[in-house]
Amino acid sequence: MVPFPRSATPDQPTPAPRTTRRRLLAAAVALPLILGAGACGGDDDKGGGSSDKVELSIFWWGADKRAELTEQALNLYTQKHPNVTFKKTWQANQGYFDKLATLTAGGNAPDIFQIDDNYIAEYAQRGVTLDLQSAADGGKIDTTKFPKSLVEYGKVDGKLAGVAMGENTQGLVFDKTLLDKFRLPAPTTGMSWEDFIKWATAVSKTAKVPGTQDASAVYQALWVYLRQNGKDLYKDNKIAFDEADITKWFQMWKDARAAGATPTPDVIHEGNDSSVSKQLVVTGKADTSWVWVNQMPELKKNTKSELGVVAYPGDPSAQWARASMYFSIFRGTKKKDAAIDVVNFLANDPEAGKILGTDRGLPPNLDVRKQVAAGVTDASMKQTIEVQNELGTKFGPTSPAVPPKGHSKVKTELVRIAEEVTFGRSTPEAGATAFVTAAKAAIGQS
Amino acid sequence: MAQMPVRPTAPVPPVPAAHRRGRVARRRGREDLAGYVFLSPWLLGLLGITAIPMLISLYLSFTDYSPLIPVTESNWVGLENYRRMFTADPQYWHAVRVTVTFALVAVPLKLAAALGVAMLLNKAMRGISAFRGLFYLPSLLGGSVAVAIVWRSMFNADGAVNSFLSLFGIKGQAWVNDPTWALPTLMLLAIWQFGAPMVIFLAGLKQVPIELYEAASVDGASAWRKFAHITLPMLSPVIFFNLVLETIHGFQGFTSAFVLSNGTGGPVDSTLMYTLRLYNAGFVELNMGYASAMAWVFLLVVGAITVVLFSTGRFWVHYSDSEEK
Repeated sequence: MVPFPRSATPDQPTPAPRTTRRRLLAAAVALPLILGAGACGGDDDKGGGSSDKVELSIFWWGADKRAELTEQALNLYTQKHPNVTFKKTWQANQGYFDKLATLTAGGNAPDIFQIDDNYIAEYAQRGVTLDLQSAADGGKIDTTKFPKSLVEYGKVDGKLAGVAMGENTQGLVFDKTLLDKFRLPAPTTGMSWEDFIKWATAVSKTAKVPGTQDASAVYQALWVYLRQNGKDLYKDNKIAFDEADITKWFQMWKDARAAGATPTPDVIHEGNDSSVSKQLVVTGKADTSWVWVNQMPELKKNTKSELGVVAYPGDPSAQWARASMYFSIFRGTKKKDAAIDVVNFLANDPEAGKILGTDRGLPPNLDVRKQVAAGVTDASMKQTIEVQNELGTKFGPTSPAVPPKGHSKVKTELVRIAEEVTFGRSTPEAGATAFVTAAKAAIGQS
Repeated sequence: MAQMPVRPTAPVPPVPAAHRRGRVARRRGREDLAGYVFLSPWLLGLLGITAIPMLISLYLSFTDYSPLIPVTESNWVGLENYRRMFTADPQYWHAVRVTVTFALVAVPLKLAAALGVAMLLNKAMRGISAFRGLFYLPSLLGGSVAVAIVWRSMFNADGAVNSFLSLFGIKGQAWVNDPTWALPTLMLLAIWQFGAPMVIFLAGLKQVPIELYEAASVDGASAWRKFAHITLPMLSPVIFFNLVLETIHGFQGFTSAFVLSNGTGGPVDSTLMYTLRLYNAGFVELNMGYASAMAWVFLLVVGAITVVLFSTGRFWVHYSDSEEK
């Protein structure tokens, strides 16, 4: 891209025609630069396999730990089925779905890919995922040992779009070491939002570390809050909240900021913008972060402090057992049966379950889950299981359906608009109006 | 130059004029063919990687194409994408504003920095080429992701820049995490990479005849007058060239904005460059048809700006070799 300097050197007195030539040259250099804007492309060959030797491509996001565990589990499958090998690709969460979309566009989607509720509706409705319902009916994928809600959460328009690989729920993680040092009480499950914010304010004052990350941009916190107020994020592919709900939500956090319960807006942004391993509770910039319970071990790995986890504030029955992520199979795969068997293995095989542990959430198969819980040695994993089992007893009878297509855009719009309010560039009321409009547009609701 | 192998024929008998023309034409055709053969690596690249995908994207801009479905299954929506862009997408206009601000500030400052440093480096001095190399270095790292990551950590609230400022008792900003400062930080990164235009300026400065300065000195001209009346006019073709290039570059800024904001264009869309919005529309929101429409509007606008620059060039670019107009 760097233009070669020689091309523009003005020459010593030369005959007139040079002028035109030089201009042409400039134009010639400029043109491809402009044109570069519109073009991209790529095409790869797909490695086919004969009927007995099968190579399956599999793609997931996650940290190193997940890669290690998943590779072990897949190696175990190869040991049992020597004709099946894997082309494993994994990367960090950020950019994962860009890559997956690009691969799909080129017709090179992996045979098996990890997906979550951000995109599963979109992928299913676009016909990218294989409908696994018949495989489930035929027993090729056994979901009979799954909690029913977890199977349902994999269905889009009545089709089984993905097999849940883990169950999780919202978890409020706090730095216990810090609290103990200042003899501060820990937050508890069931404390009201009001009490929680008071508690966080007290932590800020005593420990000189902001009590809590501002959750106004955290969609799953808003979701719990809405459900506690008899609303929901979505219902029947429409938004199930109104401007008044969002105004209250933004206002509550505005007051929390004013009281000093949260960090400054730039640090709040940093927290909103960070991966699991850089959450504020880990970097020491706030005492609590809003995460999912299964992320505990990953958080623990990145801090020396002892961590505790409770439910989000308010009535914990508004939380639910969510399929944290799924494995889906590409509809265009030429190795359907092998892929189905692998997904079934990862979800139901006791040995595989033991290897995978709770990294993706509690094992979806309840028998496996029991076994894993009995044999787990990792302290933070143990904590995850205990807390989630305990919260599980408190969940209400209803759990939300899979979010509609456009959900990921709703999430980014929430971050953008909540931060506008955080930075004082918008008011809770104006922010609420903007968010309702943006959310409707994102899910295509008129 | 291109000598075609000529068949070793016996002395050509005189032929009628009409005949001779036919043979010349045939030879012409063969020469053309050879030319195209030699051009083919570039030509295939242009067609396969640029022209054909561009035409396809023009078609896609009138559809609701998503990367998740085959192109053949996408629906024709006419001008809907363009309508939405201009009338129903506030983020679009926001991205336009961010990009124009970026280009208007970063491009002139970058050129000024490049010219200033080029003039400093245009002195005869020991080890001057080492200095030139050093100043060019940031540009070699140019669009690289690594530099943007380093920039991001330097300009963090607890990054190197703030540590440095605190030595002087200055309380720094949150830079990349603050909507007021994020875009200026991005601009600074662009300006810092002034090496490419600097090298071109340097080459241009070397071409300015030394006699002009000598003559001006004899007449008692000040350094400023020499700069304004000799350097600038003599350098104007090079300035023009750099201006066109850097303007186009400025509008296309993507990598650093993407890395600095974790791909979101945040905080609060303050670094949402046009290309970043385009990328997110296409690859995150999976509205590739809409993204294609954005790309085409972008192409036309940047093309138009370039044309405008070329047409104004007539008034201020002096080619030393061209006679007065």
